[in-house]
Amino acid sequence: MIVMLRRLSQTLFLLLFLWLFLQTESKGENLLGYPVKIFLDADPLIFITTALSSRSFFQPLLWVILVVIATVVLGRVFCGWVCPLGTLHNLVGTLRKKNRSVKAFNKYQWKYYLLFFLLVSSLFTLQLTGIFDPISLLIRSISLAVYPALQYAATGFFDSLYASEVSVIVYISESIYTLFKQTLLSFQQPLFWQSVFIGGLFLLILALNIREPRFWCKYLCPLGALLGIFSRYAILKRSVSEGCNNCGVCTQSCQGAAEPNSKEKWRKTECLACMNCDDLCPQNAVSFGFSLTKPTAAMDLGKRRVMASMLSGLMAVPFFRMTPLSKPGASDPKLIRPPGAFAEREFLQKCVKCGECMKVCLTNGLQPTLWEAGVEGIWSPILVPRIGYCEYGCTLCGQVCPTGAILKLSLAEKAKVKIGLAMIDLSRCLPYAHATSCIVCEEVCPTPKKAIWFETALVKKRTGQTLTLKKPHVDLELCIGCGICEAKCPVLGHPAISVTCLGESRSKENQLLLL
Amino acid sequence: MNRREFIKSAVIVGAALSVPPIVDPLITRVLGADKPDLVVAQGMPPAKITRAAIDGLGGIKRFIARGDIVVVKPNIGWDRTPEYAANTNPQVVATVIRLCFEAGAAKVKVFDNTVNDARRTYRQSGIADAAKSAGALVSFIDERKFKDMRINGLILKSWPLYTEVFEADKVINVPIAKTHGLSQLTLGMKNWMGVMGGWRGRIHQRIDESLVDLAMTVKPALTILDAVRILMDNGPSGGDLKDVKILNMVIAGVDPVAVDAFGTTLFGMKPADLGYIRIGHQVGLGSMDLGKLRIQRIRV
Repeated sequence: MIVMLRRLSQTLFLLLFLWLFLQTESKGENLLGYPVKIFLDADPLIFITTALSSRSFFQPLLWVILVVIATVVLGRVFCGWVCPLGTLHNLVGTLRKKNRSVKAFNKYQWKYYLLFFLLVSSLFTLQLTGIFDPISLLIRSISLAVYPALQYAATGFFDSLYASEVSVIVYISESIYTLFKQTLLSFQQPLFWQSVFIGGLFLLILALNIREPRFWCKYLCPLGALLGIFSRYAILKRSVSEGCNNCGVCTQSCQGAAEPNSKEKWRKTECLACMNCDDLCPQNAVSFGFSLTKPTAAMDLGKRRVMASMLSGLMAVPFFRMTPLSKPGASDPKLIRPPGAFAEREFLQKCVKCGECMKVCLTNGLQPTLWEAGVEGIWSPILVPRIGYCEYGCTLCGQVCPTGAILKLSLAEKAKVKIGLAMIDLSRCLPYAHATSCIVCEEVCPTPKKAIWFETALVKKRTGQTLTLKKPHVDLELCIGCGICEAKCPVLGHPAISVTCLGESRSKENQLLLL
Repeated sequence: MNRREFIKSAVIVGAALSVPPIVDPLITRVLGADKPDLVVAQGMPPAKITRAAIDGLGGIKRFIARGDIVVVKPNIGWDRTPEYAANTNPQVVATVIRLCFEAGAAKVKVFDNTVNDARRTYRQSGIADAAKSAGALVSFIDERKFKDMRINGLILKSWPLYTEVFEADKVINVPIAKTHGLSQLTLGMKNWMGVMGGWRGRIHQRIDESLVDLAMTVKPALTILDAVRILMDNGPSGGDLKDVKILNMVIAGVDPVAVDAFGTTLFGMKPADLGYIRIGHQVGLGSMDLGKLRIQRIRV
């Protein structure tokens, strides 16, 4: 009975998650109108580590407190009843052959070591939590890999029916396609660097369920570990009556690594409150109830190992940061951060690589980094204008950022933020290098007073004929680096005008102009 | 020629035969015999002057027949609200659509291949809402519907163009008058860039000839130039209200060159100042000779 309730709760939260995911897309208005990042808002691991690494609070406290209180009272109900990644693990686990008995991996301590590593490194300002946090990982994987793949498959399928040109088939398939486009599909095909890499990692994590159900939750999840610590003194407790005959059904059905067969010595911190043991016990010997007695089983993490993981968290700070990228002028010129992003160090202290900004970006221009920002900055967002420019009247990335790494700007504020500067490559630009007219960069420039202006010049062609041409110049004071000129430049391949992050408002050093 | 192409060409030939080609221009000429070449309506509100301008040309029924599928092509290129005069005025667009339905049009389609993100431009321009409430089918561009078409023009030999434009019975061009860096002004003929696919930025290398080629290919039944607000500088995208001039004017005409020729005068220019108007005049697409055109001015 209570297991049915849990499944219902899991289904509802998974659907809510997916629905909010689909709402993380512009419908033409600048404001999204939905609390699309509420799962990240409710994530205490992200809250604590970001507060530590950035020495500031951004997330609303309410949801985190709710999750913490629920955990302190009821145990890891978030893992068992709410977490959408946990539910996906359950679903994949059902693919597993029934009664396949494999010896449990039983390294539940690992996730605590990972947690201590992350807590200590974030204490020393290195924020790596987003790589492992389950909510962040899930949103990133779906946004950058799963959803684009589904869109690609669906589009390919409907396109092939459309190409058949058999009117009955086209009529039916196009009606379904239109319905899909209005509901489940994205406005345009999202395409991301590293889709295969990020998607592959996600598949691997899901595939671990074949080895052992909820492998991730039992042994790896750092949020699970944090909630485990919070749940240590939870008052919802499990008791086993005399009727127990050690049949072991509870251990087989346990979704955590709680060892329910050890009766009063079960590991409470590993219990996901899934209620399987209560439900399945053939003797009806298991029951859950509230009591204030002390927990009996120790966490058994080992002082040395805890120390080692904390030390490696500390060591990670110089290890990940010792890169010449941090030298002024040596950073990657293509590291164009979204408008409203903090200065690089502070930005990386806040960014949890959830990929929400990339999901919501109108033009698909925000892409995950690999090494451009160092290992520390892996999967953080950069604008790649050749893939998509930054739309002048759009502030969506700042609206969805869960940690304020990208600030939510007003349109008036955004109009003043430079994310870089455009510069013209005279050796490729048509009017300069090839005596051919072209004004595309000026035409599309969105600043109210255009940041691209023309010098009218008389040019002699090879034939001796003279031609009046407009040669574009960039007004570095007006240019905001949005990159639409680069995106639309007809010189394909290496564009004749391109943006680098030089001149970005967020940086003190990365400047060009004297004033 | 494969089967599909054969059927397609057969349908086109059949459609052409249903109205004998000699009669068709005759009908138009007879219907328009005593009508002005251009009607310039000025006043408020935009819906009223749009209606007045078309009525001045002889009414919408001169152009749209019962059962027609009509494409109304505004400029929805830019992520700007109407007061910035970067896109066609939504009220002008909606009125044209309503008139088409009054003439018995079966369907009116509205779309544009935008420069900024289409979701935003359709919404911010006010055109999607206005056109939908007028009963039009508003759709985003579907890349699959661009087909390479033979143009055989002065410069453009072929280009991917939007098939819905060519499948429609009638096309009405509803551009807005704005300044533009290269062609100096963007008026009616330039609006056909919005049915081009591919890397259309390339046509700026020979913009004047290309625009004439496009205008020769699309052949609208009617051009309604929106000059309710015009953009005097920093076009075609705009963004500064100081660059916007309010004229409360709509210009309607059949001859696309004549409409654009008149449009230049709004900016204190002469028709011959613009290359594509000059070339359009030379190749016989229309007339830029404002002195010889019958221009009716209406104040509402």
